[in-house]
Amino acid sequence: MNTLTSLTSLLIFPAGLTLLLMGMLYEWTDRKLVARFQNRTGPRWFQPIADVVKLFAKEQITPGIKNPFLFFGLPIVAISGALTAALYVPLLGFTPAHSLPGDLIVTIYLLSLLTMCMGLAGWNTSSRFALVGATRALTQVFAYEAPFLLALLGPAMAAGSWQISVINDYAANHWFIISQPVGFIIALIGLMGKLELPPFDAPEAETEIVAGALTEYSGRGLAMFKIGKSVELVVGITLVSAFYLGGLHGILPFLAKTLGVLFVMTMFQVLLTRMRIDQTVGLWWRYGTILVLAQIVIIILLKGGLS
Amino acid sequence: MNSEQNLQQAEQLLAAWNKETTHPEANRLDATIAADDLRLAVSALHNTHWGYLSAITGMDLGPDAGQMEALYHFCNGPAITTLRIRLPRTSDVSLPTIEDIIPPATFFERELHEMLGFRIEGGKSNERLFIPDDWPEDVYPLREDFKIEQAKPVEGRHADELPDEGVVGGNKFVIPIGPQHPALKEPGHFEFTVDGEIVTAASMRLGYAHRGIEKAAESRNWIQNLYLFERICGICSHTHAYAYSQGVEKLAQVEVPARAQAIRELVAGLERIHSHLLWLGVTAHEAGFDTLFMYSWRDRETVMNLLEQITGNRVNYSANVLGGVKADVGPEQAKAIKEGLNYLETRIRHYLEVVTTDTMFLNRTRGIGTISYEEAEEFGLLGPTARASGLLRDVRVEAPYGAYTRFPISGVTETNGDLEARCVVRLKELLVSCFALRTIVDNLPEGPLTTKMPRKVPAGETISRVEAPRGELFYYIKSNGTEHPARVHIRTPSLCNWVSVLEKAVGRQLADVPMLIAGMDPCFSCNDRLVTTVGTSGDRKTWSWKQLREYGIEYYKR
Repeated sequence: MNTLTSLTSLLIFPAGLTLLLMGMLYEWTDRKLVARFQNRTGPRWFQPIADVVKLFAKEQITPGIKNPFLFFGLPIVAISGALTAALYVPLLGFTPAHSLPGDLIVTIYLLSLLTMCMGLAGWNTSSRFALVGATRALTQVFAYEAPFLLALLGPAMAAGSWQISVINDYAANHWFIISQPVGFIIALIGLMGKLELPPFDAPEAETEIVAGALTEYSGRGLAMFKIGKSVELVVGITLVSAFYLGGLHGILPFLAKTLGVLFVMTMFQVLLTRMRIDQTVGLWWRYGTILVLAQIVIIILLKGGLS
Repeated sequence: MNSEQNLQQAEQLLAAWNKETTHPEANRLDATIAADDLRLAVSALHNTHWGYLSAITGMDLGPDAGQMEALYHFCNGPAITTLRIRLPRTSDVSLPTIEDIIPPATFFERELHEMLGFRIEGGKSNERLFIPDDWPEDVYPLREDFKIEQAKPVEGRHADELPDEGVVGGNKFVIPIGPQHPALKEPGHFEFTVDGEIVTAASMRLGYAHRGIEKAAESRNWIQNLYLFERICGICSHTHAYAYSQGVEKLAQVEVPARAQAIRELVAGLERIHSHLLWLGVTAHEAGFDTLFMYSWRDRETVMNLLEQITGNRVNYSANVLGGVKADVGPEQAKAIKEGLNYLETRIRHYLEVVTTDTMFLNRTRGIGTISYEEAEEFGLLGPTARASGLLRDVRVEAPYGAYTRFPISGVTETNGDLEARCVVRLKELLVSCFALRTIVDNLPEGPLTTKMPRKVPAGETISRVEAPRGELFYYIKSNGTEHPARVHIRTPSLCNWVSVLEKAVGRQLADVPMLIAGMDPCFSCNDRLVTTVGTSGDRKTWSWKQLREYGIEYYKR
């Protein structure tokens, strides 16, 4: 019985199929909003699904690669990392399928798996565009990962737990966006960095390095990376809104809050120019990290003062 | 100093080497010198800052005359000095290089070598720039006795091959950009050696879109050529037709009616708005600011609709005929133009605000690729790229032609010379254009649109310069009194501006490179490229148009 529940939660709900469909829906919302802001028509609602179906139907070309095992394995690892991470977050406002003390850290590392896989994928091919893209992706990880983690740590410390479901419940009575606005902004921008959305899309800047780390991928492999990314979009937004926007309980508040966050993210994408990789790193270490550290210090002092 | 004094000064400078002086036109000095004196003469002009080297025209006078000519054109305002070198037409025609004196001359010299077989002594690079790698040795397409049968591709001659995945030792490797690359809308090939993210060397290769237009012009009559030259470039098609018809009209001594001249300036102004808005979008896209890209291209539709209303075409406007224009501007069009200009002006002011105040965009443009006034002069830059560095190179201002004497334009310059300045110069120029276009529409001279042109153009040669959106467009036209031109030499402005990219990319980040390329608004409108393709059986061969068409039909049947 237990196995059946686990399998259901992994393959159908909340991870698995439901999540895939949600990922594509959110991807469509993002693309459509950006298009409308840019005075374009934008894709039809089923376009992301059509893209994936088309890619799966296409031939997967295996170019000059160093390690075929890695080449085929990496997309699978990337997508499973994102899907597994979904088990720990309150997707659609339900309690997380799995919960254990300290699952916040597990989730954050599962979310990083995609970027790591892309870095390895770029290194694994002999394409120079992919190599530069991989270098940039991994450089960027070092820029946003620490501040993103610290930004999520703020609510966790306030709630006194590193368990996502506990923080989610605690947040229902504490809107951290009001008490920790800096943390919210940094978590949001950090998430955009994680997803390589503009202005942090230097690792896949098409005008310089074609498609970055994924230049040599086609067909199934590319489709899996793409799905992994849209899943990560949903999981990431869920995490940030659960922590900062009064927790996620129930489908309607979930949709309202996550789509609200997505809307703000599209605004950033539309308004900002792509940053060079040195500018990205500079931004995070000069401002992002220091601001979020200051906030953590304040939380520690206040907490200490209260107890 | 007026143009007459300028020419006198040039004559004095060249007196020591000058063998024969003529004045083909009022503003021109033609000095014949010996090849050995070339470097001295060029240095004399260069050291006294007498103008700038605008183009080098090579000519084969044919086996009968037994001579080849190289013409070095220096422009100084309206005054043009031509150094003419005559050499016997032997198997070894050699000229000393001047690229160490004037760096941009390297492009002109390589063109001389590849197209006409002049051997350039002391030139740094012998790699091919324009003609295909598999073009046979010692076959020069612009020679009079060139036959198409000679142009058989040579097997296995490819200089483009990179050593071992482009790794050039240590941590450095080569990033190829083009001929097929998302950053380039037209084919060119660049190789940037990078150490991590920093560019340490840059080189380029052109000619992927060479269509042999200069050669083709020699076999077409004067009127056919107008339509040929219009198709050199999709963005500045009017400018090419303008320069060509202006030159031919000068040769034929035909006076174009005032109304026709005003309409030519009108279309040229609208074309400039079209071109610069397109450029703004491309630059924004290279920087990763797609919103600006989409908005500026949306507004470009307005100006394209205006052009369509006037000429009937959105891209190759075809507004010119020899001796005038074929499109008139009636009250209806005048109203539409004014309304369109009002809208465009508010939009351009808005974009000017965006490129000067948007912090994120400025991060990518301010202080990047800075070219000083001295460098701009040394590199021989033209058009907005030069004007952004404070160097006023604008034929419309320096040597007003056609209707520009009646409806003058004020020159726009900026001093910073970086990418931001290049954005600002172009946008401010559009505001000037909007103002001038309104004046033209309000004061359009009455009269006929065309005059009669003779079918044969009297023998002679002329130089026609027009300011294209990207800079000075240079046409050298020679007639031998028949229905066909004897030689037409075209120097497009982009060719002169390449140095700015290659010199400035070194030491910058790879991410800045597309911006630098876009910053000079490159236009790959050159000439001559054979259609070679790898056939289904794997052998390389030249395909005829008919074969290609059949191949295409077969391909899509599958």
